[in-house]
Amino acid sequence: MKRLTAKLNGLTVLKWLIYLFFFVFLLVPLFSILLVSFTGQPVNIFGSFTSQKIFDSTIKKLSNISVEAYTSIFSEGNSYFAALMNSLKLGTGVAVLVTVIVLPIAYAFARTKMPFKSFFAALCTIPLIMPTFISSHAFVLMFGKTGWVTQLYHSFGGEGVIFDVQSMLGIVLVQVFFFFPYALWPMVAAFKICDVTLEEASQNLGAKSWYTFLRVTLPLAVPGIVSSMLLIFTVSFSDFGTPIILAPKELNLIVVESYREIAGFFNWAGSAVLTVIMLLVAAFFFWLQRLVIKGREYGTISGKPTKQKLNDHKGTIAGLTIYTFLVMLVPILALGSIFLSSIATTWGHHALPDGYTMSHYKTIFSTSGKNIWNSMVLAAGTLVLSVVISTFVSYFVVRRGSGGLDFVSSIPLIVPGIALGIALIQTFNTAPIHLTGTALLLIIAYTIRRMPYMIRSTMSSMMAIRKDIEEAAVSLGASSLIAAITVIGPLMLPGIAAGAILVFVTVIKETSISILLAPTEWAPMSLAVFQNLLRGEYYTACAMAILIIVIVIILQALAKKITKDQLY
Amino acid sequence: MGSVKIEHLNKQFNGNTALEDVNLEIQEGEFFALLGPSGCGKTTTMRCVAGFETPTSGSIFIGDRNVNQIPANQRNCGMVFQSYALFPHLNVFENVAYSLNIRRFYEGGFGTKLSTLAHLLNRRLGKVDRATEQKVRDALDFVELGHLADRLPGQLSGGQQQRVALARALVMEPAVLLMDEPLSNLDKKLRNVMRVTIRQIQQKVGITTIFVTHDQEEAMSMADRVAVMHGGRLVQVDTPTALYSNPANKFVADFVGSSNILNGTVKGVNDSGETLIEIGDNRFLRSTYPTNKKDVEVIIRPESIRLLTSEKAADDENILDGTIELSTYLGPTIRYDVKVGELRFEVDTVFEAGSPILPSGTRVKLQIDPNRVVAL
Repeated sequence: MKRLTAKLNGLTVLKWLIYLFFFVFLLVPLFSILLVSFTGQPVNIFGSFTSQKIFDSTIKKLSNISVEAYTSIFSEGNSYFAALMNSLKLGTGVAVLVTVIVLPIAYAFARTKMPFKSFFAALCTIPLIMPTFISSHAFVLMFGKTGWVTQLYHSFGGEGVIFDVQSMLGIVLVQVFFFFPYALWPMVAAFKICDVTLEEASQNLGAKSWYTFLRVTLPLAVPGIVSSMLLIFTVSFSDFGTPIILAPKELNLIVVESYREIAGFFNWAGSAVLTVIMLLVAAFFFWLQRLVIKGREYGTISGKPTKQKLNDHKGTIAGLTIYTFLVMLVPILALGSIFLSSIATTWGHHALPDGYTMSHYKTIFSTSGKNIWNSMVLAAGTLVLSVVISTFVSYFVVRRGSGGLDFVSSIPLIVPGIALGIALIQTFNTAPIHLTGTALLLIIAYTIRRMPYMIRSTMSSMMAIRKDIEEAAVSLGASSLIAAITVIGPLMLPGIAAGAILVFVTVIKETSISILLAPTEWAPMSLAVFQNLLRGEYYTACAMAILIIVIVIILQALAKKITKDQLY
Repeated sequence: MGSVKIEHLNKQFNGNTALEDVNLEIQEGEFFALLGPSGCGKTTTMRCVAGFETPTSGSIFIGDRNVNQIPANQRNCGMVFQSYALFPHLNVFENVAYSLNIRRFYEGGFGTKLSTLAHLLNRRLGKVDRATEQKVRDALDFVELGHLADRLPGQLSGGQQQRVALARALVMEPAVLLMDEPLSNLDKKLRNVMRVTIRQIQQKVGITTIFVTHDQEEAMSMADRVAVMHGGRLVQVDTPTALYSNPANKFVADFVGSSNILNGTVKGVNDSGETLIEIGDNRFLRSTYPTNKKDVEVIIRPESIRLLTSEKAADDENILDGTIELSTYLGPTIRYDVKVGELRFEVDTVFEAGSPILPSGTRVKLQIDPNRVVAL
């Protein structure tokens, strides 16, 4: 007994509270969705422990467990099966295309004397700050029936549209041009770590440079390339913003299908099955990616900094520079289109808007002020919750070697936003813990979804603090908890602040969770944009989108500044 | 203030033995050094006392109190870390005041707790009380850093940081002061100054001090007693002089100062009770060191050999004929490498202005005092 009380100090209690948080809001919902996928009916797990009646009905439902929902998927003509296949095709297509398109750019960054590298690197952030459903709308503004690119095309004598934006091809193209930065930097790294001496050996033996590239450089970079390909697959597979805007009715994609099942038909069983499948696919590819890069991370760090001989062949460089610029031009034009639309009176008769006005901005500030406020409140709430949890999680993981918390807190990496949303709705839509439709559940969902990224940021600043600083505080009389609060906390502040801002940013951008979970009175900006798009109020949607993008840019610049200014 | 007693201390890390049956008794007010090469267990021993490591078995007493079950923050051990571990975000004053604020936080009522915690998080919130202020000022004056109270640690030199760390540990009036290689990050000159400073401060405060070091010179010059450790075990615990003149084994002899170590065979005991040892080539040495072994290791310190150039000395007085192979001028002393048959001796002689340094090839006689021939 004495040992028990001795062990129950403040920190241990905290650790178990964090475990409890993940258990209630992540593990139980995921488990419950798994149960529902077998029973075909909603199961109230928490209720089963508070009410005998619910418990009995749960038991009854559990006795009806069957795998029918899964087996029927593979029967002919099942729409779920088609959705899964389409999503797999989409992910594969995007992953392959991105790799092919990015490969020359990565090579140019890593191995050539291409000019404007830092300028191009800055341009690369544009795709990342635009929520995908806004990028999708931008593509409609460009390539749609009345899009300005289409207008230009007509003026050169073309007819109809260049391609149908509202199609699989449209989705693929949007994702390719807005996800490529995810693949670019890992690939640049892959090219950089290749041993240059091997290339020189190859050239020394008389090989031409293109031959050296194909037979030596490329094979050495393959693991890095494959890993980023798998990453792109997962991102594309889980992306909700693009398909919800661009997928035509007849095109089933698993994210859209599961959203329709839950939001349109309240089909618990169907959405549960789709969620489980989504999770399994995402987890599998995540695992595959880990497998590919396993054991390679050290090699990159401890590798001897060999001096790179950069390719300075004029023709190659000119070609690569133009190519890189063209690829980056697409997101810039997309952003420009959104901006023009936000200040256009009307647009669609000519390549340029018919007139310009600021009235859309006035409109959003007068009618959608509540959405802006909601976004701020929700993002601030998420920020506070994320900071507290991730700071202590990284403390336990780094200082106390808590592998359990490390594992639990990285689970959200493999849970697509839409899947997390569905799991949370199903678990918390009735008593005893009725949270669906509250801001709290929204905040919790955002927190869990962004937790792995936040933890990465706090963990690295935790690792930078020497252990003896903490021991010094303890030897001076502070308990571990007080030492953590008074010494470790303040020292981690820059890292925490930077991470917190990024959490704020992603919450403002977040689409899938907002669309699924946000009640009307708590609708954030992203949801307002989405609803305006659905209602056909394109100009105000664009104005709001520009507002989101501006906020994101400012905050990201701030985060970058904080991490750069080392305080001590 | 308190003594420290360590009984049958064992520590294993993942099945590897770091400490094996360590027994120590450190007197109140004693300056005690733990000396040994890296990995010998000296730091682990200290960390067990501090409470940062949990012993696998054995007991540790501070004063009369068995501290095995007492967490590190309640052991009242002041600690000075190798890297000083000053809090980089707090200025010198706040660093030193930390332990006093923490104490106030634990002992105070709810209001005090709140205001102290606020102050610890941001110095502009809340205020330190007058007693704390005075104690910190005194501690800083004591280490002669009163004028730097507002600086951040990053703005101080190594020696100043060291003194802040010392003041921070002393201000809490700990039962024991623990110092983990505190001088290893300083340059040689500063190290010699800090050696004296630390010793003086320790004497003034009269605090029981455990000092971990791998530098034998440091241990010998500062400590009242030294424990030599090797491979997780205590090899010898003694005063510096006893350690030097009577090393318990070859390891200690070699680790503490330099030594001539020879293999010898005991041939008997003469009338005056001295042991007669043959060191090869029909050469003999007399030693007053009693031994009952037959094959022994003979240890002779370089400075306990006298170098004679005159031919007069009698042959039977522990005298060996040799030739100088190398002369090295070391400032106050000269080190001669002397070849005696197949054996080599290192001989240190005091350098006196005016007297020449003997060149290589000079034939000399080595006279060795039987009292200083250690046979183990």
